[in-house]
Amino acid sequence: MAKSDDCLHILQGLLVFGNVVIGMCGIALTAECIYFVSDPHDLYPLLKDTENSDIYAAAWIGIFVGLALFALSILGIIGVIKASRTLLMVYIILMLITFAFEMASCITAATGRDSLTPEFFLKKMLNRYQKSEPANNSDDELTKSWDELMLQNHCCGVNGPSDWQAYTSAFRSTHSDADYPWPRMCCVLNTEKVPVNLDGCKLGVTGYYNSNGCYDAISGPVNTHAWGVAWFGFAILCWTFCVLLGTMFYWSGIEY
Amino acid sequence: LPTPSARLPYVPHVPPTALLGKVTATTFALERPLCVFDGHADASDAVWLAVAFANASSAFRNPQSRADVPPYQQLLTAHSYMTLETAAAAYSCSAPSPPVLRVGGDTACRDQGRQDPCNGPLPSPGPYRVKFLLMGCRGPKAETRWSEPILLRRGICGTATPPRVPCTCLVGVLARGTASALPHLMPLLLSPCSAKVWGSLCPQDLGTNAFIRRSYRTHHIPPALPQPLPPGCGHSPPGLCHSAPQPPAPCQRI
Repeated sequence: MAKSDDCLHILQGLLVFGNVVIGMCGIALTAECIYFVSDPHDLYPLLKDTENSDIYAAAWIGIFVGLALFALSILGIIGVIKASRTLLMVYIILMLITFAFEMASCITAATGRDSLTPEFFLKKMLNRYQKSEPANNSDDELTKSWDELMLQNHCCGVNGPSDWQAYTSAFRSTHSDADYPWPRMCCVLNTEKVPVNLDGCKLGVTGYYNSNGCYDAISGPVNTHAWGVAWFGFAILCWTFCVLLGTMFYWSGIEY
Repeated sequence: LPTPSARLPYVPHVPPTALLGKVTATTFALERPLCVFDGHADASDAVWLAVAFANASSAFRNPQSRADVPPYQQLLTAHSYMTLETAAAAYSCSAPSPPVLRVGGDTACRDQGRQDPCNGPLPSPGPYRVKFLLMGCRGPKAETRWSEPILLRRGICGTATPPRVPCTCLVGVLARGTASALPHLMPLLLSPCSAKVWGSLCPQDLGTNAFIRRSYRTHHIPPALPQPLPPGCGHSPPGLCHSAPQPPAPCQRI
């Protein structure tokens, strides 16, 4: 019951608690990243084949990092309770490696998010939506994604239907401006996916076409995704850093 | 001699209402000339729309009969054409009808090459000027004034590649800072003098705690023999070790 005993027990208790939290956060991180990778809003085709699918790479890394954190936290708890230098050394080394991976994932998610501006989506949409000879499957998927997006969210283009008028596009080269000032999906459709008033839609009469842009509908989920991976990851890293410091301190005090 | 047609003061114009598609790359909308031809038109008369390039509008001559009406296909050669042949009754005050006309909305007749009146899409951004012409059996009876030049939209060629935003956000700075500071902190923690820190935080007594005691000599028991400082302690980073005011104890390297 010496004072050092108390110090020791307190430190052990703190480290065990820290590792329990790390384990739970690891599971939570894995679950969150699996959710993002499953792409519930079907936005991945809009980002695929670009240098900006980083946030998906970050989510994939997050899945494995979460599992590693869980496993390492168990190792850490065992090592702390048994006061085993070997186990704790292994724990520290592996945790540092995991730390580095998680750091990479967070930075990737944060910087990837920064480059997802409206201009980025606009360029992709203008170049590839309804491309006449799709170079590969991803153009088809992009078209389908955009159609689904415009249908579900009652929106048109990135900033609005004027995107199709203000810029030349792959769509414009196959669809005449007189018949299709903007894609049919921008019109208000009935249950059979037929425009309610085609002439009204072509003229831009309020009520027969979707006048707002889809950027909000895209950026909402993408922001949630990126910030979810980045900020939660940084929070875990901060906590893990403290636990690692404590563990190193504890390790250096263990006898041979 | 053909009677000169009456010049009506009406000026055709693009509708002022907010319609996104009122001017596109190949079409434009015009407000219907309701009530304009009342008093001049008979039941059998037709109202045509004459469209001409803005610089050719002064050279336009009203056709004297329906057979002389310049068709859509002659737009590029004659720099004008007439289209939207409508019964005059459709423009009377009491006619229920959509409030706008769309010029250029018929893509089907463009390629057919017939000489029928065709409301085909306009081939170039213009600018164009238009006027309404009331044609009777014996020739033009009335005409409105020429409109202001109408310039169609022209799409900009794509968008520039947005530059990759360098990460200047706080998050990235913090992350990079943490990542770079970590390697410097590690030797500090694993140095031999961390044991001294441990000892100073949790001061030892003569207790039988086997966990701590054996890694270094306690402060209260002076060493039996003076021993030279091992290189480990002397070369350790400053701060932690040297600030502890105690006689130098051998730092047994773990």
